[in-house]
Amino acid sequence: MTFLYIYIYIYIYIYICLYMLKGLMFLCVLCSSVEQKIYVVLNETVPCVRLLNATHQIGCQSSISGDTGVLHVLETESDLDWILSSGPHPPYMVIMETAFFNRSVMMRMKNSSRVAGVAVIISKTGLADNFSPHTTCPNQNTGVYSESYGSDLANCNGTVWNPLGNGLSYEDFSFPVFALKDENQTQVLRKCYEDHNQRVNGSAPQYPLCAMQLFSHMHAVTDTVTCMRRTDLQNRFSINPEVLCDPLSDFNVWTSTRPLNNSAKGHAADESVVIAATRLDGRSFFWEQAPAAEGTVSGIVTLLATIQALYPVTQEAPPPRNIFFSFFQGEAFDYIGSSKMVYDMEKNDFVIDMNNVHSMLEIGQVGLLSGRSLWMHSDPVSRQNKSVDTESAAAGLKLTVDHPSVSQPLPPSSFQRFLRARRIPGLVLADHNTSFTNRYYESMYDDAENLNVTYPPGLTPDEQLVYETDAAKSLAEVATLVARSLYLQAGGEENNLNNITADPKIVAQLLYGFLVQKNNSWFRSLLPPEVTKKGVNSILSEICVYPPVTRFVQYILANLTGTVTNLTESQCQNPSELSTENKDLFSYFWVSGPASVNGTREPFCVRASVRLSKAVSPAFELLEYGSRNYSTWTESRWKSIRARIFLVASRELEMLTLGVGVAVLLLSLLVTYFISSKAELLFSSARETPTTTY
Amino acid sequence: MDLSRVFFTGNSTMNLERMPNEEKLSLCRRYYLGGFAFLPFLWLVNVLWFFKEAFLKPAYTEQPQIKSYIKKSALGLILWVAVLTTWITIFQHFRARWGEVGDYLSFTIPLGTA
Repeated sequence: MTFLYIYIYIYIYIYICLYMLKGLMFLCVLCSSVEQKIYVVLNETVPCVRLLNATHQIGCQSSISGDTGVLHVLETESDLDWILSSGPHPPYMVIMETAFFNRSVMMRMKNSSRVAGVAVIISKTGLADNFSPHTTCPNQNTGVYSESYGSDLANCNGTVWNPLGNGLSYEDFSFPVFALKDENQTQVLRKCYEDHNQRVNGSAPQYPLCAMQLFSHMHAVTDTVTCMRRTDLQNRFSINPEVLCDPLSDFNVWTSTRPLNNSAKGHAADESVVIAATRLDGRSFFWEQAPAAEGTVSGIVTLLATIQALYPVTQEAPPPRNIFFSFFQGEAFDYIGSSKMVYDMEKNDFVIDMNNVHSMLEIGQVGLLSGRSLWMHSDPVSRQNKSVDTESAAAGLKLTVDHPSVSQPLPPSSFQRFLRARRIPGLVLADHNTSFTNRYYESMYDDAENLNVTYPPGLTPDEQLVYETDAAKSLAEVATLVARSLYLQAGGEENNLNNITADPKIVAQLLYGFLVQKNNSWFRSLLPPEVTKKGVNSILSEICVYPPVTRFVQYILANLTGTVTNLTESQCQNPSELSTENKDLFSYFWVSGPASVNGTREPFCVRASVRLSKAVSPAFELLEYGSRNYSTWTESRWKSIRARIFLVASRELEMLTLGVGVAVLLLSLLVTYFISSKAELLFSSARETPTTTY
Repeated sequence: MDLSRVFFTGNSTMNLERMPNEEKLSLCRRYYLGGFAFLPFLWLVNVLWFFKEAFLKPAYTEQPQIKSYIKKSALGLILWVAVLTTWITIFQHFRARWGEVGDYLSFTIPLGTA
């Protein structure tokens, strides 16, 4: 058996040498490793991830070692046939032109076994007239309408709010779907396809072919109940616990015209509060891509302008009731933020409770008015006469205000969660009557262009920042109306109404900041210094849509409603040491300040009554992961998401290489055995001759 | 140079050639009894190791007893293999369908698949 040991030694030695060589190559900067010669890594990847709720999983999944497929660009119907039935090199990795990203094509891909993954080109060329991957009836099971309350209005029996919705975001795909936003990268892919994969005269292309591999392996599976159970088991029994999924969570932002004592939870004595609310989040089919211009930003900007308009008057001539402004996060996923706030209010764990609430006014999608009227939606089941007075508020404005038909239900809105707890009077403002005017609801195409926020060419960024588009003026009008209505609702005097006007310049700056460029001079001046040094995108958020918006809104509110103090930085961090400052009533923010002429900034401390409240679904506090009353949405975790392209050889060539290798192995074994058995003959004959001659 | 010495530098009495027959019998019995402690691999080793001794060597006094031990070890081994194979097949096939029970029975749960 000695030859076997020799053989093993030799092979181990060669193996180790090869590994050391490979390691050296990675260390060596000048020499190119074999891996770089094979793979072209795609840097900008926008994946679709898996989300789970109490009963289902949605989104996309790849296999743990990535999904590989031969590239094919889907431009025409014949390409679709090639991919799904006639192409000879399945599975295919589809590069999908924008026009083909619709429900019918994606469903056919889903049901086919010949598709390894899809990369969608995101561009405006070829974009259909409408595209909404959301469902037709958003949040239908967690709103106020159910069998016991307005049953003929539940499940969009009364009005279908998003008729253009194709529900793609809520489908479960077993292959990865990535988005190609970078035009240069798409060009690289097209070039690889044209060089190797293009069909010549209708015949199939020859190997080697260009292939792409997508990695987006998601850890969670089945539903939230399973995922949280497995996470608990891992935490208790495993040596190396791994969290499989995270509940969607972030923060709501709230403020009030009269400061509320944050440490006194439960019913606030002698406080009657009018709530003005809007939502903070948006979503799309892909992860962390949600411009949500008409769907969300229009509401945020309007409410911020409202606060800015109301603030001086409420300080000079305060109305009897307090006005409570709230920005709810996570509303796209079954009302996470608003359900949490209502839950806290009912549990006496919030600064006010439901008995303090007088009425509510919510701002929905208000961006696409274009001269038409603003609609006041109210709940037909609990409607009370004259819930919120808007007619006198609208006097003198160019807006007209209208009421939908009396039997029409409320659109999806945070107000529905408040109604579930208590029948308070309230209104939801929107630019639509029966169904959304937003043709790109909760999609990647709901951007500045959808809101008609366009700037004339040739303006510098600073000029664009303050340029008042028509959209800005329209939203400023809406904000003025809302501010005046709120003032009247809070019991203020009518003769103060003319002093309440929203500033279109602030609205324009907000629209520019949220829709075009976050890294502008105004935002930089109201954020803390450490953020402005690194870049304006480094702020945290766990909710994977529209990342840093919570912090932005918090600091913008501090800027609009706060007062400048002359505290130092350390005093700003610990204001309770000073007797003049009250940490229960106010928050203290250390902000950069405007840039002076020579580029330096002088930071200062701002005191404002702006607070954050945790927005995580009560289902996770109650540990009812299968809850039907609260949102149960979680997002899966993953290890790596990346993509790369390379050339693949045919299966026959791969098998041939393997076969030749095995044959070489067997041949070498044979030769070694032969040499070993005839060793005396081969090696001792040389020695014998010298002795005989001697 | 005998390379077998390089690798098996442990107990040189592992070589059955040089063991007296009584020691062989006691070793065989020890392995047979040890296998009852839920250790079917001891029975496997017993069968493989003493097979030549029990069936292929010329008869000696202890050989019938060694033969019986080998036969009983083989029986136990086959039983264990059958039970384990059945259970493993059932578990791999149905674990996903069992939901909660499957998760509680599993030591490691694969990521990303049911």
